[in-house]
Amino acid sequence: MNSLVISNLSKRFNNIWAVKNLSLELKKGEIFVLLGPNGAGKTTTLKLIAGLLHPDTGCVSINGIDIKKDPVKYKSLLGYVPDEPFIYNKLTGREFINFVAGIFGVKKEEYERSLPELFKRFEIGDWIDAFAETYSHGMKQKVIMCQLLIHNPMFILIDEPLVGLDPKISKNVRVTFTELSNNGKTLFVSTHTLSLAQQIAHRIGIINNGEIRFVGTPEELANIAGRKDIEEIYLKLTEQS
Amino acid sequence: MKNILLLFGIRLRLIFKYFTPGEHRLPRISFFIILLLFLSGGYYTFFRIFKYLITVEIIGPAIMTRTLEMVLFVFFIMLLFSNIISSFSTFYNNQELNFLFALPVLPTTIYLAKLFENALYASWATMAMAIPLFLAYGVCNKAVFIFYPISFISFLIFLIIPAGISSIIIFIIVRLFPKLKPKNIIFTALVVILLLIVLYIKIGNPGLLRIFETENEKELLQFAANLTTVGGIYVPSTWVSNILKNFVEVNTQGLFYLLLLLSVALSVIVIAYNFARVIYHKSFLQIAEHTSKTDTKKSALANYQTSPTYAFLWKDILLFVREPTQWVQLAIFIILLIVYIFSLRRTPIFFSFSLWNIIISFANFAYVSFVIATLGVRFIFPAISQEKKGIWIIVSSPFTLTKMIMIKYLFYVIIGITIMECLLIVANLFIKTAPVIFYFALLIGLFVATSLISINLGMGCIFPQFNEDNPSKIASGSGGIIAALTSITYIAVVIIIFASPVRNYLLSWYFKKPVNISLVTVCSVVFVILNFATIYLPVKLGIRATKKRDF
Repeated sequence: MNSLVISNLSKRFNNIWAVKNLSLELKKGEIFVLLGPNGAGKTTTLKLIAGLLHPDTGCVSINGIDIKKDPVKYKSLLGYVPDEPFIYNKLTGREFINFVAGIFGVKKEEYERSLPELFKRFEIGDWIDAFAETYSHGMKQKVIMCQLLIHNPMFILIDEPLVGLDPKISKNVRVTFTELSNNGKTLFVSTHTLSLAQQIAHRIGIINNGEIRFVGTPEELANIAGRKDIEEIYLKLTEQS
Repeated sequence: MKNILLLFGIRLRLIFKYFTPGEHRLPRISFFIILLLFLSGGYYTFFRIFKYLITVEIIGPAIMTRTLEMVLFVFFIMLLFSNIISSFSTFYNNQELNFLFALPVLPTTIYLAKLFENALYASWATMAMAIPLFLAYGVCNKAVFIFYPISFISFLIFLIIPAGISSIIIFIIVRLFPKLKPKNIIFTALVVILLLIVLYIKIGNPGLLRIFETENEKELLQFAANLTTVGGIYVPSTWVSNILKNFVEVNTQGLFYLLLLLSVALSVIVIAYNFARVIYHKSFLQIAEHTSKTDTKKSALANYQTSPTYAFLWKDILLFVREPTQWVQLAIFIILLIVYIFSLRRTPIFFSFSLWNIIISFANFAYVSFVIATLGVRFIFPAISQEKKGIWIIVSSPFTLTKMIMIKYLFYVIIGITIMECLLIVANLFIKTAPVIFYFALLIGLFVATSLISINLGMGCIFPQFNEDNPSKIASGSGGIIAALTSITYIAVVIIIFASPVRNYLLSWYFKKPVNISLVTVCSVVFVILNFATIYLPVKLGIRATKKRDF
């Protein structure tokens, strides 16, 4: 069974199509990276999948569960990281993660096993008990990654995962993504970082003006354009429109 | 000057946008209609009061002047408090300031732009009340045309004084106690203002709060004659009142008070400007330095949460207690309520007569309902907006929006009912209300509190502002105004419904006749039907609006 199925998904803002007739299927354990210039419709696509926006047409399902028919079950399978890593200023990182763990109903054993492991992986240290208002962008991003993984989602949606992270943590994130994929989790990543797409993606999608221009493996992408540099291909595909 | 206008102009445009929800045509129109209704209602009320007072010989015009003085004095105190509460977040705790201080503009320029912004945010509600008051005063006294622009201009000048004073107090506290936490700075500033007011009333003895009890006509007329000269001559509100009085028929004394008001306002700005020149930038950096230090916290939410509901509730509670603008305002509110309740113990002796006793308990019920409505607008209306940009966590989780709203609803209903019932019990014990009225008020109070919570939470769902950090600003936005006016209308309807049974009870007591049970029953049924709508519909509509919203 496909992990994610999107059929004819469209969303319009004031007569401008942010996403138009998007159809896509992702297999279990796949890492799909969505590329596109600013305003292409990447964040809108992710928000539609996360249930933060209501589509004008189309439907989305994870593991056969339709978001409209059973939103609670659908969302219990979903983990989402927005493009802006918002954490309540007056909560500490630990409190924020516990809050998310609480609303996802994470079991105590799982919580106690995962939490120290996550803190270690993302090197959060003592900052975890400081108020989020004192965090840098990178620190917020690390806490957001922890909240994502604490509830062990089957399907992961991430908007710009590497913004604000130092090279070491960026590498940890890439490794984490690959590990998650190996453990059967499906990842849908939106990014501007072309190197990330090249390194982790099983398939790449290029979106522009709300429409998917290309979907395929990194190798297929290179073959279609007759070039080997993904940056050149990306520029060519997004220029055409 | 150009830079000040530029910075303030940007804010003004944002404020205009913020006061006029532009997402849908209907809320924008409804906002203006409701505002117009509010202004017309205010005008009508003041007009009727003044019109009546003018007809009362000797004492009437004197009471009218005294009422005006008192209202303006209360405005002045309200403005001091509201400016203090919003000044710290405007001058220090504001993300925009990091950007502004990085620009090639002087800190004093930023200060002045922020001063006008703060004055505008803290004063618009007072302004909305002042406009109908001045209009009614002018019309009733058949004022010349110049009265209207002069009264408006003098009130604008008047608004600057509390804004300037508040900023000076905040600067001094920040300079004297650089290591004080934000919540303590606001708290200290409020204590300073409170002490200044108490000191003024004690030492200055303005006579505004004096109650005169006599049945001697001669003494009463003497008192009335003295009323016109009573008032604190050092308070700007008295000067505004004198401007209004004297400009009704263009009098040179009015010009004197206008110039006095203007010169004091300018002096306050000059003093505040100099404080800002010396202190502002330095203290801004000090505050930023303190907040960037690691201040670790442990709480109930730092441990594993056994249920989604607990996790959500703990989050809400922690965010409330850690936000100084929230609990400081609540603390002031509670202190004022305690003062009110205990003042009921000292009510004059004739209140113990059954006739007055029933009237006072009824008025107290209306007042307590108004208190709950105010608490609702200030603390419950912003509850949904307070999820801020973090709403994505809820929306993308299995924790449904309906559950989120219902948890907040039940939580606030428990708190609202507790406050309402406690106030009613204590107040009615002090008033020594008759048992029938006592228990009836408690029963009605349950419905009223639940309805007011529902109205404010529902409106908060329909008109959320997820991008606004300051809950006071959320409450004073267009949605907050609609919620406030709906709450007041609801209370007015409840009062109208029960006015007849209370009147009937009074007459039956006076003429020793049985109470008209059918009237009480009909009114109770109407009340229950009304409350079914006010309890069920706002939350239902709020849930529907939230579910339909794109985040």
